[in-house]
Amino acid sequence: MFFTLPRMNKIVRVLNILALVLLLINIIVVFFYAPTERTMGNVQRIFYFHVGTAWVGAIAFFVALVAGIFYLRKPQVKWDTLGLSSVEIGLVFLTITTAAGSVWGRPAWNTWWLWSPRLTLITIAWLVYAAYFMLRGAVEDAEKRGRFAAIYVIISFITIIMAYVSIRVLRDIHPVVFGGTADTAQGAAEGLQEFEGGLESMRMGLTLLMSTITFTVIYLAWLFNRMRLQYLKDEVDSLKIRVVTRLQGGGT
Amino acid sequence: MIEIKTLVKNYGLNPVLRGVNLHVQAGEFVTLVGPNGAGKSTLMRIVSTLLKPTSGLVEIGGWALPRHSDRVRRYIGLVSHQTMLYADLTAQENLLFFARLYQLDNADARVARAIKYVGLAARQRDPVRTFSRGMMQRLTIARATLHEPDVLLLDEPYTGLDQDASQLLDDLLRREVDYGRTILMITHDLAHGLNLCDRTAILNRGKIVCEVNSHDISSSAFLELYADHTRHQKKKKQTT
Amino acid sequence: MSEQSVSPSLPGAPSFFTAVKAIVWKDLRIEQHTRQTLSLMVMYSLVTVVMFNFALEANLAAARDVANGLLWATILLAGTLGLHRSLALEQDNQAIDAILIAPIDRRVIYVAKVISVTLFTLLLEIILVFMFVVFFNKPFWQPAVLFILALGTIGYVAAGVVITSMAIQTRSREVLLPILLFPIVLPLILPAAIAVAEYMTGQPEMTRVTSTVSLVLAYDLLILAAGFIAYPYVVES
Repeated sequence: MFFTLPRMNKIVRVLNILALVLLLINIIVVFFYAPTERTMGNVQRIFYFHVGTAWVGAIAFFVALVAGIFYLRKPQVKWDTLGLSSVEIGLVFLTITTAAGSVWGRPAWNTWWLWSPRLTLITIAWLVYAAYFMLRGAVEDAEKRGRFAAIYVIISFITIIMAYVSIRVLRDIHPVVFGGTADTAQGAAEGLQEFEGGLESMRMGLTLLMSTITFTVIYLAWLFNRMRLQYLKDEVDSLKIRVVTRLQGGGT
Repeated sequence: MIEIKTLVKNYGLNPVLRGVNLHVQAGEFVTLVGPNGAGKSTLMRIVSTLLKPTSGLVEIGGWALPRHSDRVRRYIGLVSHQTMLYADLTAQENLLFFARLYQLDNADARVARAIKYVGLAARQRDPVRTFSRGMMQRLTIARATLHEPDVLLLDEPYTGLDQDASQLLDDLLRREVDYGRTILMITHDLAHGLNLCDRTAILNRGKIVCEVNSHDISSSAFLELYADHTRHQKKKKQTT
Repeated sequence: MSEQSVSPSLPGAPSFFTAVKAIVWKDLRIEQHTRQTLSLMVMYSLVTVVMFNFALEANLAAARDVANGLLWATILLAGTLGLHRSLALEQDNQAIDAILIAPIDRRVIYVAKVISVTLFTLLLEIILVFMFVVFFNKPFWQPAVLFILALGTIGYVAAGVVITSMAIQTRSREVLLPILLFPIVLPLILPAAIAVAEYMTGQPEMTRVTSTVSLVLAYDLLILAAGFIAYPYVVES
């Protein structure tokens, strides 16, 4: 592991407290400090969560990619755990992002969901990382599981890169991509752009920054908790081995 | 030719090989016997460069594994209980494929010679799926020796063979010995384990527990020895 | 030591492309004997197309509108059959081990498998395109469309060979394949399908075609590079 156990315990404790405090402050900032948006009203506030979680999702998948590369270079359990935890957390955050976006979309677009390119590609990303757990579940041997998971995470990151690039390229050329839902899709694209370019005040920008920092710290706290669990599990396993060898008569 | 020192392989928490030491000289025929789960197949996969060891030293012809796998692969041939042949290809095509993969010169002539050598010339244009188990195993030997390897590895080669086919395989193996190839065979079949080779080692629970010179020991004495070492294991299991 | 030492017949490390050629030759030979992969893929595609028509309640106008999407969906579905057949073949009788103990680079296997499965899928696509022209009366038969199909196929197979090789080594085997593979390749299929859709109108908007095709190309290159680098880890333990 990356740290000794006492060190890990300390980091986890600090991060837990920090995350909790930041989350409380963030909620206060989002609801009382940030100004009410003109066209959307209070509903717009959900976007601070939406963007914050989306940011963490991207970071988490990137960390998983790096962990995957390191695992292939040197297969150590810590890299596998880092990758697994990161995908796990990333998927949860991606789900929050989508749910928050959907809640916003209902009043904004008059529908919970649209098959616009961005939403479609987000769904695909979600499916890609959900399948990661199916792959892990289907491999029994730990070494092979780690190896396959690492390869899969590397391949899936290409999907993420392509999804991001596609959204830009496809929208730049033409915001309407799917024939049937042309009008609503256009609305979706504009709705998103309106927000992105519409941080009219400093206070909105600061709130967004605060949210992003908060969710990043929550991610780190979660990650370290997860890593610590793995650490304890490894400890237990190695103790088990020692007990078993002792019982077998030590001569082995 | 083959040098194995304190070889360890763990599957997760499970130790399969726990410090195997074995030395096979050039031109020697060594058989490894042992009960199921002793770690024979794992050892064979490591020696044949298909599996990386957890720790320890494995050298073939002076080249260490897994570092020099690429080099070692040119000097080894593997015959396993799996045919490792393509059932839909003919005997000739199968060998031709491996000749091309190894990029041997005079591939056609070599293949023709190899097929004749194992006595399959009459059936060389038939798909392998129509072959009997014994014929397949002979073709497997032709495949494994096509590139004239110095070391021949045999992984339970007698599996599924009847009396006659075993006899034929024995003859072929004897000829390989005469060629001067170094042979390492693993088997759970004691009868075959003993009569061809120079030396027999017993692998049990991931360790070599006994090594004997096959010429110095009668088969009944060896059977006793083998039973001794495996009974030993059962006794220990009961106490735990 | 043997008097017939190996050295004369093996002058140096075997060349990469000769080994690739050997494996492709072998795959084609097997197909020549059995003709199973291609016929399976074609039959499967037919069933898919008929089934979709049934879903559209034989509404020809509706069927024509979705013909492009249907073509890609059919290719994806039938493609998994080709991928699975080609890679499961190596697992039968552990033939893969014989390749792995040969002194060849592991990436040879990747390149060879991508080539042979791409060849099968391209053949299937030629048949499919012909079928679609007949069934849906849409202008699929044009060089540009075939070119986009080919580009899409390369990326699809390049991802497919890696994913399939892993899937067949798991407990759930091929069942896992579509779940793992389809989401991965959708960012490739999406722009490719949009590009083909442009040609269905008769007057393709070139800026859109170039932008979508460059997305397809980018995906192809990225996935080929990743597969090429990662494949040794797929087959080696």
